[in-house]
Amino acid sequence: MILIVTSDLILGECIARACNDEGTVILGDAFEAIERIDELAPDLIFLDLLLTGPDGFTFLNEIASYPETARIPVVVISDLDLSGQDLAIYGVVGKLQKDTMTPEMIKKFVQKHARTLKSLKTLKEA
Amino acid sequence: MESEVNGILVAAHELKAPLGLMRQLALSFDFDEQNTNELEHIRAQMVDVSERAIRQVRDLTKIAKLENGLFVMEPVAVRAICDDVVRELQSLFHFNQRELRIKYANRARLVTANRELLYSVIYNFCLNAISFSGERARSELTVRDHAGKVRVGVRDYGPVLPVDVWREMRRGWIKKPTSIPMRPGSSGLGLYIASKFSAYMDAEAGAVRHRDGTSFYVELPVSRQASLFE
Repeated sequence: MILIVTSDLILGECIARACNDEGTVILGDAFEAIERIDELAPDLIFLDLLLTGPDGFTFLNEIASYPETARIPVVVISDLDLSGQDLAIYGVVGKLQKDTMTPEMIKKFVQKHARTLKSLKTLKEA
Repeated sequence: MESEVNGILVAAHELKAPLGLMRQLALSFDFDEQNTNELEHIRAQMVDVSERAIRQVRDLTKIAKLENGLFVMEPVAVRAICDDVVRELQSLFHFNQRELRIKYANRARLVTANRELLYSVIYNFCLNAISFSGERARSELTVRDHAGKVRVGVRDYGPVLPVDVWREMRRGWIKKPTSIPMRPGSSGLGLYIASKFSAYMDAEAGAVRHRDGTSFYVELPVSRQASLFE
C-alpha cells in the first residue's frame, strides 16, 4: 500500500494513477497522515513538502522518531532546493520535482521499494 | 523597479503551479489502459485547472487597467454575484471534498460596485477557502448587513491567519503579494488581487482571526437605488 501526502488532490490523483498496481491512499495534511500511519502501514510514502498547515518536514520528523515508521521509505516531492540537506536520516530515498517528474519516475520508486518491502513481509510470514 | 520585479516573480510563481498540474494530467493519459470515464475525468480536471489559471491572468490584467478607470461602478445585485461564483466553483469544492455553505442575511439587495471586480474578490476568497481548509471541512459564504453597508465574507476552517499578517492588514490591507506562513505554496496573490479591487471600489476589505480558521470579507456601500425596492 502506498501513502500519498499532498494538499493538492489533483497532484495526488496523478501520482496514484502512476502507482496503478498498488493500493493508494491520499491524505491532505501532515496531522492526519501522522495519526493514520500506524493503521495504514504503508510500504512507501510520496510526500509533498509543501502542505497546508504543518509542512512535510513536520511529518518527516514525526515518523523518523518511531522505530516502526522510521524504516518506511519516503520519496519527497518538492521544487525546493534541498541540496544542502541530508534527508536520508528521515528515510528519504528519493526526490521528485513537480516540474519534471513523470509517471515512469514514480513507477520506478514503486517497483524498487514497494516490492522490496512486500517480499520482506512475505518472507517473514512464511 | 524592485516592486515591479517582485510582482513579476509572484505572478510567475502562481502561474507555474497550474502549468505543472496540466503537465501531470497530460502525462496521466493512458489511452490503452484507461476507460472513457477515467479519461473524461482527467479531461475535466485539465479544463478546470486551465480555466482557473486563465481567470488569474485576467485578474492580473485588470490590476494593470485599474488606473485607467475603465471599471464602471453601478448598482449590483450582490446575491446574484455570489450565486454565480458558487456555481463556478461548485465542482472544485466537490472534487476537493470541501463544502461551501451560503447564508444570505442581508436586507439591502443592491450595492454600489463593479460587477467584474466584485466577482473576482468573492471568487478569490472562495478559492482561498478551498485551498486552506482541511479535507471535508466546510467554508461559509455569508452576506449580511453591517453598519449600514453590506458585508460579503468567506469563513474557512483552515490555519489561523498569523497575528502579524493580520496586523499588517489592519494597517492598510495588502500592499503586495505576501506569502502567508502556515499557508505555504501561496504567494498571497489572490488576496492581493482582492485588496486592489476592493480599494478601487472604495470598499473596505479585511480579515477576522478565529481560533479555528479565518474570515476574509469585503464591505460595500448600499446602492441608493436599493431604496426603490424596499
